[in-house]
Parts: sequence; structure tokens; C-alpha cells
Amino acid sequence: MASPLSLKIEFSGGLELLFSNQRSHRISLPAHVPSPSVKGADAGLGRSEQEQARRPADIAYLIFWLRDNLLKEREALFVEDGTVRPGILVLVNDTDWELEGEGEYVLKDGDEVVFISTLHGG
Amino acid sequence: MSEICGNPALEADALMPRRRKFDKTKACIKCKVAQGNIVIRHAVYCKACFFPHITFKFRRSLEPFVNPKPQGPRRTALKPAGNLLVGFSGGLGSTILLDLIHRCYVASNDPSNPTDGGRDHPRNEKVWRKITVCYIEISDAFPGMEDRRAEVEDAVRRYDGLDFVSLRIQDAFDPEWWTRTGGRPGFSVLNADLTSEELHVAAADLALPPLQALHSHLASLPTATAVPSTLQTLIRLLLLHTAASTGSSHLVLGTSLTSLAVSLISGVAQGMGFNVREELQEEWTPDEGPGDGTENDRNGDDDARVRSRGSVRVIRPLRDIGMKECAAWAWWTGLKLVVQAKQQSPSSKQAIGALTKDFIMGLEHDYPSTVSTIVRTCGKVAPKGDVIGKCAMCERPVPRGIQDWKSRISIRSRSKPDPDTDAPQEDHLSHPDVSSPDASLTPYLCYACHTTLTSKSSRATPTLYPLQSKPSATVLPIWAGSRLFDDDVFAKKLKMDEKEMKNSVADFLLDD
Repeated sequence: MASPLSLKIEFSGGLELLFSNQRSHRISLPAHVPSPSVKGADAGLGRSEQEQARRPADIAYLIFWLRDNLLKEREALFVEDGTVRPGILVLVNDTDWELEGEGEYVLKDGDEVVFISTLHGG
Repeated sequence: MSEICGNPALEADALMPRRRKFDKTKACIKCKVAQGNIVIRHAVYCKACFFPHITFKFRRSLEPFVNPKPQGPRRTALKPAGNLLVGFSGGLGSTILLDLIHRCYVASNDPSNPTDGGRDHPRNEKVWRKITVCYIEISDAFPGMEDRRAEVEDAVRRYDGLDFVSLRIQDAFDPEWWTRTGGRPGFSVLNADLTSEELHVAAADLALPPLQALHSHLASLPTATAVPSTLQTLIRLLLLHTAASTGSSHLVLGTSLTSLAVSLISGVAQGMGFNVREELQEEWTPDEGPGDGTENDRNGDDDARVRSRGSVRVIRPLRDIGMKECAAWAWWTGLKLVVQAKQQSPSSKQAIGALTKDFIMGLEHDYPSTVSTIVRTCGKVAPKGDVIGKCAMCERPVPRGIQDWKSRISIRSRSKPDPDTDAPQEDHLSHPDVSSPDASLTPYLCYACHTTLTSKSSRATPTLYPLQSKPSATVLPIWAGSRLFDDDVFAKKLKMDEKEMKNSVADFLLDD
């Protein structure tokens, strides 16, 4: 069983207001997480819960984990349609997540993920 | 045939491959050596090349417009006619703007850090004699919103070499502020009736306290969209008049490419199409104040009654820089924003501006190049029609025939039109209509401002101030009174006798 991943999460540009007004967080995620299952597919293939597909923890999972565990208010300002709301820049180890495969980037131990809101413009 | 044909959970190639967000490779497009750190509209930049790239775009949007006459093919020294005023809101765009202004025009002229040629080389001469940062506090307009003035001042004071001035949004209704900044005397209090499209105006004897006047104005607006639109107009005019009073020939705003696309589209949706060019860049001239237009005006003296007569050029130097680039700049340079936790009002999400912003943000996410296409296209369109004057509310150009157009495209009353009495209202600015007995504001407004004041919403708009009843008449901003004061026909209709007129300008009359 792989050891859990220790990650540094930063919020900026006003997003920190949704996360207890705290800019910097240290969290721990399991290295492998359940895959999102298609309704009936597992049952159709005869898989039990224990045999359900697992995938390495990626940013898509991290976003939902943050929504369910750290986000304190106004979920719609952070998550929309299964990913971060348009207008939120995501940096993984100082690099645009668009260069790293966006939600499919597989997290490694010690990674730093930064979420910056651009919604407070002007 | 499989019952689960095309199921992406079971078939690896059922999904179409996702379109890449960047062209070619992950290497930086400029240096071609380093791994990229950021994607800007399909182009990849490393962190080291990102900063000079953004600085170049900033200078390219500002410097050709610094000299009074546009620069020709050969670059000349930057010699603006006056000082610089920076509009600052604490948001992302204006925070980046302030940082760039300081890096390019203050820090680079630091005598303890001379660049090539030595301290006295002409290249190292200061471009701007004086740079003032202006902040307008809007929290008094919305119950429960926090005052951010102190935080904003702290953020600005971190930079040396900049002056700071702050205003409150209710100054737009304050005759004392108007006098202090050298504004032209006029009707100090005008009330307009928003229940009819003619917007009948009456002079009030007593001025409300500015905060009460602001609340009265905002509470009487007919739609959710009208509130943020009005605030934008008030902020813009406050900044312009502050620029004139500080001897500034240039006003720079932190509108990014993304924000500009939002304001252009939402402006057009509200009837501002004739002034699309002004939204990109405008040249505004104040009405002549008591100042005598001497050199002292240009130096931004503190003498409250002296005001520059030159025009103020409004420039948005971040117009080629998207919100994403601004966010990356702020993060990588450690800049902190001053963010308002509370939204403006419960109905602000229904406003056209907010809906447009959601749309443009989604567009930028999925199709990043379309946002810059919007701005480029708006820069190419030229409106048709003659300009016949300046709007009393927003001081932008007014085209001929607005009310004719409105009467042709909309049903404005249920009764059958009578050709004798329902003739379209003439533009007073070109054809004074002395036959109508009432002083009407309508002929002095542009299409967008008239629509803001008269448009009716099919939905009930939540009240801004639940404890107050909706006022029947609205107070007009102080500059509207100044503009209308000079119009003979308007003044006559207002039926002020000579004694009342004298009283309103008593402070400005010389003793006999």
C-alpha cells in the first residue's frame, strides 16, 4: 500500500476567504483513490466494492477533496461542472496546470498546488 | 453489438482525445530553452521570459499615448503635458498596474540606482513629474460592506514616490467636494422624476447630506443592472474630475483584457454602442472652472480652485494582458490584493454586467483567443451619426436622434398615438424646444444613461435599503447640475427667478 501524499495547498486572489480565510494549508491524501464509477457498470461486470477500479490521486480528485473537507462556504465560487470554476488559475509546482494535463496530473508527495482567483478584477 | 458500446469507463479509446491547450511543445516560445511555466492563449512562456513580455505589452499600450501628439515612426522622448493619475480599486488589475507603473517610472529613476549613461542622462529623466494614486471607497453604498480605505492606503504606501488621494462614492453628490476640486458652479441640487420617460427635473431648496443623496439615487433606480452601471459612471467621473484637479493629463486604469471584454459587451447590451471607442480610450475635457489656466494648473498645486484646462487622456495599459497573466504576475511577485468579501447587493448577480462576466470567463476558459478578438473587433468599429453634445450624466458624446430612435423601436404607451401631441422629442442639444413647459432631463442624456434611468424590469428588484421606502424622485450627481446650469432653455424651464439664481452662485460673485 503506497504511503499517503503530503501536499501544500495555497489559495490567493480572494479564494482564501472561502477556506477559513487561511492562505496556506498542509494536507494528506491517499496515493490511490476510487475511480468515478459509471452507474451499473461495476455491477454489470460483476465487480464488488472491494474490486472497484482505483486510480492514482490526481488534481481532479484533489478539487473534490478540498470542496468536501476544507471549503467552508459558497461552493459555486470554487467548483463548477466537475472542475474549478472558470477564472481560477491553478499552478502545480509553479507551473500552469494546462501544461501538466490539468485535472489528470497525478499528484506526487511534496507537490505544491496553488489556486488563484481572477474574479476580483479591476 | 455491445450494449455498452462507447462507454469511456470500459473502452480506453471511446473518448475523443482532449484538444491541447498549447501549441507544439512545452518549451518557452521566446528563449526556446527553458521549460514553460505558463500558457497564454496557446503560447508557452517560462517565468524568466514572462516578466519582460508582460512589461513590453504594458509599455506598448501606454507609451505611444503619453505625448500630446501621437508618436510617429521614430520613437521620441516621453514628455506628457501633465501629471499621472492612477485609478486604484485594490483588485487584481489595478494592483498589477500600480506595480508596473512603479517599476517602469519610479524605481527605474531612482538616483541611487543609475542606469546606463549616468544619473543625468536624458534617458533617466523622470517621465511623470507627479504620480497620484486615487481610490474611491464604495462601501457606504451597500449595507454591511466593509470600509477598505486603510488597507488600500497601506498597499499604496508600500511604494515610494507616489501620492495617495481617496474619495468616497457619495462625493458625487457633495457640493463641497465639487467646489474643492474647482468644479464649475451650477444647480447644486436637482431632482429627477424617474416615473416617466421625460425625467422631469426640479431644483431642490435644500441639499441632502451626500450619503443620503447617494442612497436616494441608487434606491430609485429601476433595475438591478442600473446599480452597478451607475456606480461605474460615478467612479469614472470622480476619477476624471480628480485628474483635472491634480493637473493630470493622463488617467490610467487597471482594466485587463478580460475586464475590458466584459465591459464592452455589457456596455453594448445596455445601449452604450455609440461610445465603444470611449470605453477603450477616451479624451475628456473638463468644463472650464474658475482656474485661469496658467502653468500653475499643470503642476497640480494644492490650491483647490485652480484646475487644469487641458484634456485628460484615459488609457487602459493592461488592455492586452488577460486576467490569467495578471494573476500569475501577482503570485510570482508576492502582491496582495485588497478584496471585498461581501458582494455588492443581493440582486447584483442578476445584473447584465455580472451575467456578462460569467459568460466571458467561460469563454476565456474554453476558447481563450475569442476574448482578445472581442476587444480587437470593438477597436475597429466606428459608430455612425453626428455628435451633438455631452451627456449630462456620463459626459460622453451624445449622438443625434436618440429619442426618435426609441420611439420607432418600442411601444411606449398603451394609448393610440396622436400625431399632434406625440411628436418625437427633439434632441435639445441641437434643436432647443421652447414649447414644452417642463424641464426635462431626457434630451440631455445619451442612450445608455437614459435607458439606465428609465428601463423597466419585468421582475421585482430586491430593494437595496430595506428600511427605506423607494423615493419618488432621484437626486442627480453634482456635475449634472453644473452642465445644465449653462443651458438657457433648461434654466428658463426650471423657472428660477434671478434672485434664486444669484443665491446659488453667491459664493462666486465679486462684491460690487
